[in-house]
Amino acid sequence: MILQENPFPGVCGRVCPHPCEGVCNRREFDEAIAIHSIERFLAETAGRYDLKPILTRLAAKKQRIAIVGAGPAGLSAAYFLALLGYSCDVFEAMPEPGGVLRWGIPVYRLPLAALRSDIANIEAQNVRILTGQKIGSEFLQDAAGRYDAVFMGCGHSRTVKLGVPGEKTNAIENGLQFLGQLRQGNTIPLLGVSAVIGGGNTAIDVARSVIRCGGKAVILYRRRRRDMPAFEEEVQMGIEEGVELRELVTPLGITTDGAQYTLTLQEMKISGEDSRGRANILPDEGKTRELRVERVFKATGAEPAEDWYNPPDKTKVSLTLSHTILISPESGPALAFGGDLTNETKSVAHAVASGKQAAMALDIFFHGGMEAIVPKLAECRVGQGPSLSMEMYMEGSRRLRNTHVVSYEEINTDHFQFQPRITRPRLLKEERRTSFKEIDLKISTNLAIREAERCFNCGICNQCDNCYMFCPDIAVIREKNNNERHINYDYCKGCGLCVVECPRNAMTLREEDI
Amino acid sequence: MELDTKDDEYMYSGHVGCPGCGAAIAMRFTLKALGAKTIVVLPACCWSIIAGPYPQSTLKVPVIHSAFETGGAVASGVRAALDVKGDTETTVVTWAGDGGTFDIGFQALSGAVERNEDFIYVCYDNEAYMNTGVQRSSSTPYGAWTTTTPGQDWKKMRKKNIVEALVAHRIPYAATANIAFPEDLVRKVQKAKALKGSKFIHVYASCPTGWRIPSEMSVKIARMAVQTNIFPLYEVENGNKYTINYKPKEYLVREYFKLQGRFRHLTDRDLDQIQEMVNEDWEVLLRKAAERV
Ligand SMILES: Cc1ncc(C[n+]2csc(CCOP(=O)(O)OP(=O)(O)O)c2C)c(N)n1
Ligand code: SF4
Ligand SMILES: [Mg+2]
Repeated sequence: MILQENPFPGVCGRVCPHPCEGVCNRREFDEAIAIHSIERFLAETAGRYDLKPILTRLAAKKQRIAIVGAGPAGLSAAYFLALLGYSCDVFEAMPEPGGVLRWGIPVYRLPLAALRSDIANIEAQNVRILTGQKIGSEFLQDAAGRYDAVFMGCGHSRTVKLGVPGEKTNAIENGLQFLGQLRQGNTIPLLGVSAVIGGGNTAIDVARSVIRCGGKAVILYRRRRRDMPAFEEEVQMGIEEGVELRELVTPLGITTDGAQYTLTLQEMKISGEDSRGRANILPDEGKTRELRVERVFKATGAEPAEDWYNPPDKTKVSLTLSHTILISPESGPALAFGGDLTNETKSVAHAVASGKQAAMALDIFFHGGMEAIVPKLAECRVGQGPSLSMEMYMEGSRRLRNTHVVSYEEINTDHFQFQPRITRPRLLKEERRTSFKEIDLKISTNLAIREAERCFNCGICNQCDNCYMFCPDIAVIREKNNNERHINYDYCKGCGLCVVECPRNAMTLREEDI
Repeated sequence: MELDTKDDEYMYSGHVGCPGCGAAIAMRFTLKALGAKTIVVLPACCWSIIAGPYPQSTLKVPVIHSAFETGGAVASGVRAALDVKGDTETTVVTWAGDGGTFDIGFQALSGAVERNEDFIYVCYDNEAYMNTGVQRSSSTPYGAWTTTTPGQDWKKMRKKNIVEALVAHRIPYAATANIAFPEDLVRKVQKAKALKGSKFIHVYASCPTGWRIPSEMSVKIARMAVQTNIFPLYEVENGNKYTINYKPKEYLVREYFKLQGRFRHLTDRDLDQIQEMVNEDWEVLLRKAAERV
């Protein structure tokens, strides 16, 4: 079921910061369900027993689609397009697919085997990945005739310039490249202190990798810890491992005496907060500090490695969706942009979302043109946000579900007992400091089942039969297949007990229209 | 819900109980626990009507309609007749309301259990004479409106503690049960069925019509009676071994009272006083169960 909606359960079960758990209704009762742990468990179990998913696939289509970039966005687009019946070629410059998952995120968060297992499943859906194929801007013209559409998912892989004197003299190393070298299998012994400039996940990844290479790491961030775009849990684990965090400083210059670097740091002061609650900062004039370090990494924001990766200016764009931008030129293939190129939030989950949205949008476009896209996508929405369901797109049974999103107040908590959320077993911080071994360990089948059983199943009947049992009129019918419950309207008196006693608000009562 | 007797059904749809009737739910669960080899003795009460006029019946087991005050006596006779026939398999169960049990049927009940007749007496308690239009009984709780305790003349006496009265007879088994706790109810009925002699089960069965509550709330309110300690779930073996089956979360009785039309007139002071009575009764029970010294 997950694989109908997300080709990366093994990856997302590990690296996604699981915002879903933040809105889990169970959180208000005791603790949110550990959704990410269950997702990862399912991916691992499928891998262990070599279980092949039974996926709904549509009939083969004549159109061919080229995907530029085998990162999470590109691979998702290819995967979903394949399920929709298209043949896809994915072009990847690097020798192995995965993008940031392969060359960015450190192995202690995402082991290679987990990534490869998800990608193997994508390839098994008839997705051709051509590695070592760097594509130039002329590709968009050459593709005409060979491909009916091109999906651009090349990501943000070039670190933006800091604009600090000394930056050009190679004094400042590139954090993303450092992570890339590690993921190519290089061992990089580090001594002394490394300064890491930035506050995003890359900065944390670099700093924590520095520690694992034997060095000390100091993160220099211009705002406060709570303003950091990095996931809080990652920041916390970094600090446990010995990463030092200096808030409210920004580098002004860098000099070297041959052995060490001296960073001049401007102290920053806060002047209010922006609409998202982030500190607005100003240089605290006259207050500077010096820091002597052995290495300096920049791990600030990234941008596309080449300008032509970006979607063109608005006048040429045909349609801008939540995660995808579409262009239908007068001649040549249709273009879709996704992943970091279009997403405000640069996360794996958002990249997958853009791949899925683009796949659906292109499919609609081929059949009904640009105008058909927005209304059709609206039919496949899950919840109130932009999330889309491929199962619904393919006319699956999820369409029959009530679209209402159940709130905690609608849960009958009398039918649930407090039970703490599982705590995922982890390496000790001493073990974490000295090796790149995966931090989060496997959970047992028992634990996974126990955790899954904590789920309220909000809004979805799980055949608990409370309605059937409490009906004073024996007017709830259980179908022979035991999967469905119906009301026998000949005998129901409309007392509404079943609706109140349903633990998960899977039923509603409304007056008959006469 | 996990019940091994979930699929067994001894009641038909189409009966004339009010929407949301707790007494109907109580019967459903009880028969699931007792099975087909059961004879129901039914003194006058709402259930006389719900069970339907001969030759129609809501129940798939035999029913004997009896006079209001004779639940204990008729059951004794049915048991004797079965014994004469050599039928030891069939369970005889008297199914009476609170009026038929606490008040008018009390002497027949007391006599039958004093003789330790081998039967189960179930009192489904809706805390008033509902079938005849909500008259107060000795089961009607302190504070309640009924048609015979109207307006400011709401009932000022406490509810009779019927289980303790039966315990005083030192019968093999006496227990409370509640429609909101089916597993507990079914377990107790099955336990009673397996024991020889007189067994008494006091089942709390909410009544939307007489309590002035929305029909959909009847199980929820029944559950709250347990959660607030107003109606504790416990059982007593041989008149002396007490077991409390549910440790409540100590919710305030207020929450239970404010949902019901029959208590609408009560002031905060009245409710405080009721809370004290409930606390006192609970302490007494804890002491009996040797959980307090
Ligand atoms: C001797 C006698 N008096 C009065 C009646 C009328 N009557 C029939 S049912 C009933 C009320 C029964 O109350 P309860 O036992 O609490 O059962 P409920 O109807 O509340 O379920 C009364 C008074 C009767 N049938 N026989
Ligand atoms: S009056 Fe009360 S007990 Fe009698 S049938 Fe109606 S709801 Fe049930
Ligand atoms: Mg009554």
